[in-house]
Amino acid sequence: MKKIKEYAAPTVVLFVICIVAAFLLAVTNNVTAPKIEEVNAENEAKSRQVVFADAASFGEEFTNGDGIKLVPALDKDGNTIGHVVVTVEKGYGGDISVMTGVDLEGKVTGVNILSMSETAGLGANASKESFLNQFAGKVFGINVTKDAPNENEIKALTGATITSNAVTKAVNAAIEATGGENNG
Amino acid sequence: MSYLSILLTAILTANFVLSKFLGICPFLGVSKKLNTAMGMSAAVIFVMALSTAVCYPINNYILVPNGLEYLQTIVCILVIAALVQLVEIILKKFMPPLYNALGIYLPLITTNCAVLGVVLLNFTEGYTYLESIVNSVGAGLGFMLAMVIFSGVRSRLESCDVPKFLQGLPIVLIAASIVSLSFMGFTGLVEGILG
Amino acid sequence: MAKQTKLAKNSEKKSLRKEFTKGLISENPTMRLVLGTCPTLAVTTSIVNALGMGVSAMIVLVCSNIVISALRKVIPSKVRIPAYIVIIASFVTIVQMIVKAFVPALDKSLGVFLPLIVVNCIILGRAEAFAGKNPVLASAVDGLGMGVGFTFALCCMGAIREVIGAGTIFAGAESLLSIAGITGFDGFTLIGENSLFSPMTIFILAPGGFFTFGILMACANKLAERKGKPKAELGGCSACPMAKNCALLAKGEGCEEKEEAEA
Repeated sequence: MKKIKEYAAPTVVLFVICIVAAFLLAVTNNVTAPKIEEVNAENEAKSRQVVFADAASFGEEFTNGDGIKLVPALDKDGNTIGHVVVTVEKGYGGDISVMTGVDLEGKVTGVNILSMSETAGLGANASKESFLNQFAGKVFGINVTKDAPNENEIKALTGATITSNAVTKAVNAAIEATGGENNG
Repeated sequence: MSYLSILLTAILTANFVLSKFLGICPFLGVSKKLNTAMGMSAAVIFVMALSTAVCYPINNYILVPNGLEYLQTIVCILVIAALVQLVEIILKKFMPPLYNALGIYLPLITTNCAVLGVVLLNFTEGYTYLESIVNSVGAGLGFMLAMVIFSGVRSRLESCDVPKFLQGLPIVLIAASIVSLSFMGFTGLVEGILG
Repeated sequence: MAKQTKLAKNSEKKSLRKEFTKGLISENPTMRLVLGTCPTLAVTTSIVNALGMGVSAMIVLVCSNIVISALRKVIPSKVRIPAYIVIIASFVTIVQMIVKAFVPALDKSLGVFLPLIVVNCIILGRAEAFAGKNPVLASAVDGLGMGVGFTFALCCMGAIREVIGAGTIFAGAESLLSIAGITGFDGFTLIGENSLFSPMTIFILAPGGFFTFGILMACANKLAERKGKPKAELGGCSACPMAKNCALLAKGEGCEEKEEAEA
């Protein structure tokens, strides 16, 4: 009998603590979850505007034949003037999620990094404008070079070739997804 | 991504200790002698693989389908703590030689951030079950490699004439810095070999 | 610890101040007790990250210290470690959700180290060494002092590494300041892209982390020496407050937690 008591008390206490903890977490989750979603949606909307500055608004998201999600960019009369595509490539430190704006001629209007876990100071520099701005106006088949870039080439980040390649690959994939690879 | 490239990445390029800064406490604390370093690392590999093997199904088949991802941290740490206990009891009873070799290190691993780290990183990387286990074993092997190399460095350090203000922990940290510098040389290696 | 309770009775105010200040310098968790080395090295690539990590850990530390101290008579000593872990993990998860909701940029840059506050030995260490034995107010102050000390050490590391490694200071401050409604300040660039020097990137990479920590530790040792105190040592696991718990756990004291983990 004594032994049962010896085990029961700690078990009950621990169990109660677990229940209370789980309850508290559930409450916090209910409060923060909508806020987190809101933040994510807001970021995506902001990012769309960055990669496709000419667009007045954006249409309904749809999925193309390859399962890639596209969002049409609309001018102020509601005509489609291009697409915004999110593509994911494997970088040095994990997946890099890249948002690319592509116009109807298959030209890149802008590139933005949505998320990545590249090394700070090297690969993480990919989110800098000086790197991303290189993509504007490029067409399908962009190459990466370590020297002075020629036509349709971008200069790799110092010490982060893998990241540069991954971002470029993602942008090329985005152009392909809009069917713009034949227009180059 | 092939299993081999996950394994090599975890051991060399994304070494847990030297480039991800996970498990620094045992790295600095238990690396004085080669045999303790080996014992600790063996226990870490074992616990990492085991906790991934157990936590992965719990996360993917219980937590995620029910929208309970926010319980990940708390569930994983409890599962790891319980698992370590269980393994210890089993080893003690059925495999005394193994228990004698690893036993004293096991409880220290419960709160080792490398173990919880690898479990959580596997979730965020979106690996499959097998890939997760391969990654965990790789991370453990990488931990072992760093420990073994560093214990060698430290044994040399013992007989060195270190400037007074650097004696003790500072010189150990600076030595760690140089070892980690050499691991940076592996950057791009895996992609180079496996295309 | 008996001494501390006695002190608290004698002159409560004075001892509370002492609990607070000891965490800052003489028992600074990072530089003197050598605890929590993983986040110290990993997230100090910029001062903003360091601050974010320090404050997150401090909130968890203070909250868990308060709760653990309040429950210290209820929690049976047999299951105290699993109970502490549950309490700490809950607070970590709460902080994590709040950061995700209000400072998403910080969540991205801290990554896995945010949930890993659970296994930060400072927190479990203080729970075991202080909060489990002392009254609520003293524990809260102890947590606050340790948290501030931790944040301070992280910021030192972050400042050095950011200035030398990236040539900026307070870069990304906007993500933190925006909670307070301040916008427009996003740090200074000390070394521009076209200036004569270029930043030593190695300082924000892994080797630079170890190096900066080593040098700071040497400075802390020098200061301690001047005051006649022993050097900071990481004597294997004996320096870690977990060592004792580990030894207890090893004797099978935490058996009950298995049922709870499954529950």
